[in-house]
Amino acid sequence: MTKLGQWLCGLAVLGSAWAALALAPPGLQPPAPLRQALLPLPVYLLVAFGCYSLATVGYRLATFNDCEEAAAELQEHIRAARADLRRRGLRL
Amino acid sequence: MATATDQLVGFGLVAFSLVLFVYYTLWIIVLPFIDSDHGIHRYFLPREYAVIIPVAAGLLLLLFIGVFIMFVMWKSRKHAKKSD
Repeated sequence: MTKLGQWLCGLAVLGSAWAALALAPPGLQPPAPLRQALLPLPVYLLVAFGCYSLATVGYRLATFNDCEEAAAELQEHIRAARADLRRRGLRL
Repeated sequence: MATATDQLVGFGLVAFSLVLFVYYTLWIIVLPFIDSDHGIHRYFLPREYAVIIPVAAGLLLLLFIGVFIMFVMWKSRKHAKKSD
């Protein structure tokens, strides 16, 4: 099964568990505070995932280190390319 | 090391999302288990807003993304016409 298939199966199982508890007839409902916390759970998980993504982006932005060697290597490549093109007659 | 601005913005984002996560978790998951005469309920809006506000914000986000794509596509169509 593909990864997408696995994710969809997992979502389907969790979704149906949530729906079974949320749409239960009054006799089989979970106790009131639990039900109150359970009903907005999909929205809550979405917001939690959004917060996690934002925090990850912010953290990676703050801790990204300079790559001195890569920068020097890139400048070297640029100079070599410029010299080569100038030799072949391209006016830069 | 990332520049000072980058670090400020980055850690600012981390702090903001942490605060948002804690507040929202308290609102949705913890508050139903606390008696309605406790003082903490003063700091939270009625529960309907816990669903309305994220849904509205998500729709706004989609709106902005759609408008941005429209804008970019319109701009590039004008440029293609000019070069013809």
